[in-house]
Amino acid sequence: MASLRESFTGGIFRANPTFILLLGLCPTLAVSTSLDNAVGMTAAVLFVLLTANLIVSLLRRFIPDRVRIPTFIVIIATLVTIIDLLLQGFVPALSKSLGMYIPLIVVNCIILGRAEAFASKHGVAHSIADALGMSLGFGLAIVIVSLLRQLLGTGSLEVFGVQLFTIPGLTDNPAAIFLLPMGAFFVIGVLLAFFRWVGVSECE
Amino acid sequence: MNELVAIFFGMALVNNMVLSKFLGLCPFFGVSKKLSSALSMGVAVLLVMLVASLVTWPIFHYLLVPYGVTFMRTVIFILVIASLVQIIEMTIKRTNMTLYNALGIYLPLITTNCAVLGITFINIDAQYTFLQSLTAALGAGAGFTLVLLIMSGIRERLDLADIPRVFRGAPIAFLVAGLLGLAFLAFGGMVG
Amino acid sequence: MSRTRGSLYPILFLTLVVLVSVVALTLTNGITVDRIDEARRDAVTEMLQALFPEMDKYREEGERFAVLGEGSALGTAFMAEPMGYGGPIEILVGLNVDETLRGIQVISQKETPGLGAKIIEDAFLAQFSGLTVDGLALAKDGGEIDAITGATISSAAVTEGVRAAALRRLGQGGED
Repeated sequence: MASLRESFTGGIFRANPTFILLLGLCPTLAVSTSLDNAVGMTAAVLFVLLTANLIVSLLRRFIPDRVRIPTFIVIIATLVTIIDLLLQGFVPALSKSLGMYIPLIVVNCIILGRAEAFASKHGVAHSIADALGMSLGFGLAIVIVSLLRQLLGTGSLEVFGVQLFTIPGLTDNPAAIFLLPMGAFFVIGVLLAFFRWVGVSECE
Repeated sequence: MNELVAIFFGMALVNNMVLSKFLGLCPFFGVSKKLSSALSMGVAVLLVMLVASLVTWPIFHYLLVPYGVTFMRTVIFILVIASLVQIIEMTIKRTNMTLYNALGIYLPLITTNCAVLGITFINIDAQYTFLQSLTAALGAGAGFTLVLLIMSGIRERLDLADIPRVFRGAPIAFLVAGLLGLAFLAFGGMVG
Repeated sequence: MSRTRGSLYPILFLTLVVLVSVVALTLTNGITVDRIDEARRDAVTEMLQALFPEMDKYREEGERFAVLGEGSALGTAFMAEPMGYGGPIEILVGLNVDETLRGIQVISQKETPGLGAKIIEDAFLAQFSGLTVDGLALAKDGGEIDAITGATISSAAVTEGVRAAALRRLGQGGED
């Protein structure tokens, strides 16, 4: 069985949920218009994935096989609603920005997938490591995409109101297409090709 | 009537589930390699969307709202969808074996299709009436199927084209989706 | 614990899980519902302040707000929610006491960034200040509002939405 460290790093690089496994694409493309969104979404996913993996792993010997999937679904849906309510109450701006993509985390293939494929079959420590790795992998991916989209789409990079970086010529005439849905598709397509080119992932 | 038509085309083309709302991407890239499976998937999703809207709308408006438990929305909706998919799967298995074999593993996957849960949320957030919700679901499903068909047609051709190695498969599919989205932007002025 | 033999156990287990879920969510809702309402109220205050900078306080009267400042009524404000290009657009409309438009504020919208989303920009919004409700129409329809280039639908939605809501309010004006 893989070591704890392998469970962790696997999620970030070798089996990155977004770039390699192509899971959880919906939120990645939908909210990656700004770094704030990317960070917020990652935090939400981290909370849900970590807690879900933890609970499923703890209960794994008690969950009857026949109601396995519905149980996972209820656990995940509950966690998602909790984070949704918490965000609405304590960080309303972010909640508005991420909109229905927060509750949609419940059908994010990453989370249900990990509960089914990993947490239900492994101990708590490994499940936590896996959750952390996958969340960070997801976070890395969505931050990269948001970085590119925000930079190219608005000409400047800012996170939580702090301006990080501007490309002077671009702020006046940004390539707004990157803020639109198709921009997201282009960015991901090119990124995927890039990762194959540098040998990180395999071509088909 | 006009409004319903506007909602239908709005959902199908202008605000297409896949190309502008980013919902239903997993099956979109996974299933869209062959025309026949794309059609089966599209129709199945349309059906589930319709029935899901049919069931979740009354539940929300006549059960959740009056009792002040709208926060149970996510849990209830996803359970309803999961159950519906199960029921539909069993019904198809019992009545039409060929169809069941054609759809194969795609059916249970519909449960995690963000587009289905998405449309149930949209119906509520946009404050649609019951009839409007059904129309929206119909439009969303139609749009999803349309895009899936177009995508699979293109990908069947792409398989025969000479694409740089690093772009083959998923990367080029995304780029094509982007171009498709660009084309669909043209529908912008259609409604209203 | 035998888990696959009994057919009652799986159902009981799932029911238990759902019950725990309901309890957890009700608790969470209890903690957050007040904050969520408060956040909404704060947002309203902020919006009203933007429309009526000299506002001291406001009174909520049914579906509209009576705005008071410096000891006298400044006007009223109310919401309009027309359907835009990408979804409903929430607009706060401010009316002066003499029934001309004080101005509008877009509270939420889902229009296309770079095009329809420009309805939140001052250049577009400022056009509404000082107009009479009757003069509210796009320039191409004989009115005073210049639509945003490439975003006719969003511009029209806002203009029409404000007009319809204002007419509705004015129709009820007698109930002060």
